[in-house]
Amino acid sequence: MTFVYTKLKLEELNKDDILGVTLDFPAATKSVPENCKRQSLAELIEIQEIKETKKAWLLKLRKL
Amino acid sequence: MEKMNLTEEQIERYSRQIVLKEVGGVGQEKLLSSRVSLIGLGALGSPVAYYLAAAGIGHLNIIDYDSVEISNLHRQVLHFTNDINTKKTESAIEKLTILNPDCTIEINSELFSPDNSKETLRDSDFVIEGSNNIPTKMLVNDTCINLKIPFTIAGVLRFHGEIMTIIPEEKTTCYRCVFDDISDASKGMSCSEAGVIGLISGVLGCIEANEAIKHILNIGDLIKNKILYIDLLKNKFDSIDVYRNENCRACGEHPENLVENYQYGIEDILK
Repeated sequence: MTFVYTKLKLEELNKDDILGVTLDFPAATKSVPENCKRQSLAELIEIQEIKETKKAWLLKLRKL
Repeated sequence: MEKMNLTEEQIERYSRQIVLKEVGGVGQEKLLSSRVSLIGLGALGSPVAYYLAAAGIGHLNIIDYDSVEISNLHRQVLHFTNDINTKKTESAIEKLTILNPDCTIEINSELFSPDNSKETLRDSDFVIEGSNNIPTKMLVNDTCINLKIPFTIAGVLRFHGEIMTIIPEEKTTCYRCVFDDISDASKGMSCSEAGVIGLISGVLGCIEANEAIKHILNIGDLIKNKILYIDLLKNKFDSIDVYRNENCRACGEHPENLVENYQYGIEDILK
């Protein structure tokens, strides 16, 4: 469902806008950017590991 | 960009198709705001109704005058044993509203005829013809050409079926371009005489529903200027080119006022 929500949010943004996506599922850090690329929705700019909480990541995506 | 208007429940319900590149949230909202008319709730209409309701077509206008009979049940999967003698429209609305409350169902239990065809189909984004007789198919053709509404027509018999899609604004080949003379239509074989395997209706009905979705979302290729012929005994899926008749009485350069004047003989077929 993360990719669904990411996609829906990206549809609301303008070209070159940046979207931050927080994930706590390791496989999604790969699948979400891959699906975004495959559908020419967005490109991955950065992945940050969020250490303050239990294992989580912040993806930064630029809308294409 | 505009904010999506999908609820959380809708996002979850339609998630598996929203994920598709060709659909997305934008496409899902298009489906939810579209209106499709379906003539016939029998063998072809059953899968059409199920899959369009499930996909989230916002408004489904379903038309059938008939009642459920036991011999329908092997192929008309919208109807169940306890629906025998119930109007097909009543049987259908019961199932479809349970399947998807997002889909507003409008029922019309009158015989689809030249007297009401324009009023019935007006304001449709797409029309799907799923009747079991040629005169009705021809009336749908002529009405949709007149109203400039895109539509698809299919037919099944034994183990095979055919389908074509017509886009009036693009002047694609219409049903009458190919099959103008229906004076012998009453002599053609019906399912009760020739027989039909139920699932061929499922295949063709699904393709009809798919044509509607593709048109609404402006994706993929429609079955325009061709007839897709399917033979499930021989596993053949053939596409046959068909050409527009510039003198066609429905869609040609000088169309006639067919809905008002042509003798379709629909009441005779149903006797």
